[in-house]
This record gives sequence, structure tokens and C-alpha cells, in this order.
Amino acid sequence: MKFLCIPCDQQMRLRSVTGPDRGSVSLVYACESCGYGIAMLTNAHETQVVGSLGVQIGPGGEAVAGASKCPVTGMLRELDARADTAPAPTTALPTASAPAPSDDLLWSREASQRLEAIPDLVRPMARESIERFAREHGYEQVTEQVLDRARSHFGL
Amino acid sequence: MKTYHDISGDGGSRVLEQVGALRARVAENLAGVKRRVAIASGKGGVGKSTLTHQLAIASARRGQRVAVLDADLNGPTQARIAGLRATPLLPGSRGLALPRSSAGIGVVSVGSMVPETTAFDMPSVAQGDSYTWRATREFTFLFELLASVEWGKLDLLLFDLPPGAERTRQYAEALGADTAFVLVTVPSALAQGVVARSHAALVAAGAPARGYVLNMSGYYCAECEEVKVLFPDAADAVELPLPCLGRVPFDPELAELCDRGELERYDPARPAARAVDEIVTALVRTKATGARP
Repeated sequence: MKFLCIPCDQQMRLRSVTGPDRGSVSLVYACESCGYGIAMLTNAHETQVVGSLGVQIGPGGEAVAGASKCPVTGMLRELDARADTAPAPTTALPTASAPAPSDDLLWSREASQRLEAIPDLVRPMARESIERFAREHGYEQVTEQVLDRARSHFGL
Repeated sequence: MKTYHDISGDGGSRVLEQVGALRARVAENLAGVKRRVAIASGKGGVGKSTLTHQLAIASARRGQRVAVLDADLNGPTQARIAGLRATPLLPGSRGLALPRSSAGIGVVSVGSMVPETTAFDMPSVAQGDSYTWRATREFTFLFELLASVEWGKLDLLLFDLPPGAERTRQYAEALGADTAFVLVTVPSALAQGVVARSHAALVAAGAPARGYVLNMSGYYCAECEEVKVLFPDAADAVELPLPCLGRVPFDPELAELCDRGELERYDPARPAARAVDEIVTALVRTKATGARP
């Protein structure tokens, strides 16, 4: 899907993404020439259909250039300001349950990265199996070594 | 006013780019796989899954490195057949570790992550109406598995497909020209009608099947050591316009071993095992094995 600024006959650029909020994602597009902005607000089904492709939506740090000729004065500056303060410009569309956080087990950064490298639909079950193994064997932290021992334990 | 095709790029959403990147990761991760064969039918209950695993075992006995991807996400059976229901899917060193059966066959199946009493749930922000997005999510998950499982070097990767003529076509389009299709039927007009329709769907997709297997072609009686008639003559059955790669008789012992997850213990001298071994030979002879160019 692309958005066109009709007066400028120019493609609008994605500036920010927020949500999902109750299944809805808000995507703000702006014209680089005139600065005019629009917001696309998805319903939950639209969010889900795109999320089913396993993608993240976001401008990837792209900057909008050029002076504003926006009929809505200050829109571009406001968008730029928001982009500067936004912690992350992309939104992962939620198609899988996040693994439940553990109360008693810590994960090392390396072990977490390995977990992140497997498909999100598999992650909750994998995490549960690993943490059960860790608890049963008295580990307080899940490290790469614990992951490797769990694999051996299950014959992998 | 400009049209869609006058504009390059997507304005920053990067949706197509990410979909393309996933497909590229699939190709990269399958670079060590020599041949891919999808076992399909269109018809349910004809023995696709059992035959898929039999082919894996027969190929492994020839020294081939083999893995099976259970692409039937909603009705997975490969984990049970391979005795891997209690083996969870876990992270490996750089992706998803490949579970192996006692015969050394790699098996990836939703049956290793979801108990048989539970439906394979795909969480959604939408309430209901899963028909609008579920198939897309399933194929994305299939690609994610292909891209992340540590397949390593394989001589053969078999896909056990779900039933449904239209699904068969979708899998042909998703798996691409590097995957050869083999159809499975049983000697009944009912089944062969559906399988013929599936073949037509594959032809429409530009991916005609390389051949078919006539499963349950008879009933093997161990007491009298004879293959007897199982299905009556299907005089008005549609003739499949494909080479028949082999006929595999039904053997109750095979079914029992499948249920127990001990298929590799099936005696290779019994008629069904010999028939499957001949199919492996036929697949190699007819090059019906999706060899990568």
C-alpha cells in the first residue's frame, strides 16, 4: 500500500507507528514536499492480516527532508520532534503470545538471543521446556550452557 | 496523478522488503539440501504421513541424510510416527535445533510442541474470523521454520502436506519449482477423483506432480503371507495421467508401529517396506525428486 499527496503528486513517507492498542495500529504518513500528514488507523483484522506476514512496520530511521509548505502549519516539525523522541520507530505486529516472564529465572543475553532466533510461535513452548529443565536441575540462570544441556537432555 | 506503478518503494513500511528477506533466508538456509519432495494427495486418510515417513526410512537405509517437515500444521502426525512427541522444539546454536528420531531422521512437527488434545492456536489481535488471515499466518510460519531450522546438509527433505486440493496448489506455489510433488491415492473412485482434482490444481500452478503412489493397494495377511484385495474394483475411477511410482499394500503391523512411534522397527523384508523401497528407486530413476539446478 502506498500513499500519494495529490496536490504535490508525490509519495507520502511513513513517519511514525504507534500501537497496537486494542488491535489497532496508527501509522502517520507525511508528504516530503508540503509536509501534509495523514494517519492510517487500522482495525484489529487489518492489523492481523498484515501481521500474519510476520513483519514489523516502521520507517527504519528515514528522515523527511525539505522545508515545510504544509497547509497545516508545524505538522512536519511536530512529526520530526516525535520521531526524535520515539524510543523505537518500528512496531512488531503481535501474532504470537509473548513468553510469560519468569518469576525466579534470569536469562543471559546470549541465551535470550538464541531464543529470539527461533520462530515466535515456537518460543513460548521452548521457553517453558527450558525453564522446567533449569528448575529441575537447580539452575538459577538460563545461559547458553544450560540451553546446550537442555538439548542434550532431550536428545537433540 | 501518479499511479501505484509510477512510485518506487513503499514509503517506509518495508512490508514487501521483509517478506522478501524471509524468502531469501529460506533459500540460504536450504542451500545444503539436495532434494525436496512434497508428499501430497488432496484427499485425507490415504496414508500420506505414513508413506512420507516410510520413504524417509527407506532413504536413510540407503545412507541418505533425510529430514521430514510436517507441513500439516493443524493435523500433525510426524512427531508421533517418529516417537518425538515428548521431544520439544528448542533453540540450537543459531536457529531451531533439528529433532531426530532413533533412526536418525530429522523431524520437525507441530506435534512436538502441541499436545494431541490441543488445537494449534495462533494468537491474534482480531477476535474470530480467522479465515481472513489464518492461511497467511500458516505459510509465514512454514517459511519461518524453513528459514530457522538447523537442517544442515541433507540429501532429501520430505514435506508431509495437509489434505485439500487447493492447499496442495498453495504449497506448490509456496515451496517453488525446486520441490517435486508426489501424489498419494488409494484404489477407490472416491479418492482418485479428489487426487485427480489435486493434480489438475498442480498443473494449473505450473507444478505437475512427478507421479503417484497407490497406497493400500491390497491387504497383507501375515498368516498366509499373501496380499489380498482390500478395495473392490473401482471401474469408474478417474485414471490419473501420471506415472504410478509404486503400489503399497496395507499392513496392520505398520499401522501399529506408527501409532507406537516405532516405524523404524518395521521389517524391511515385508511387502509394504519392499514396495516403498522400490518407490525410492523409481523416484531416483525418474528424477522425480526435486533436484536443485
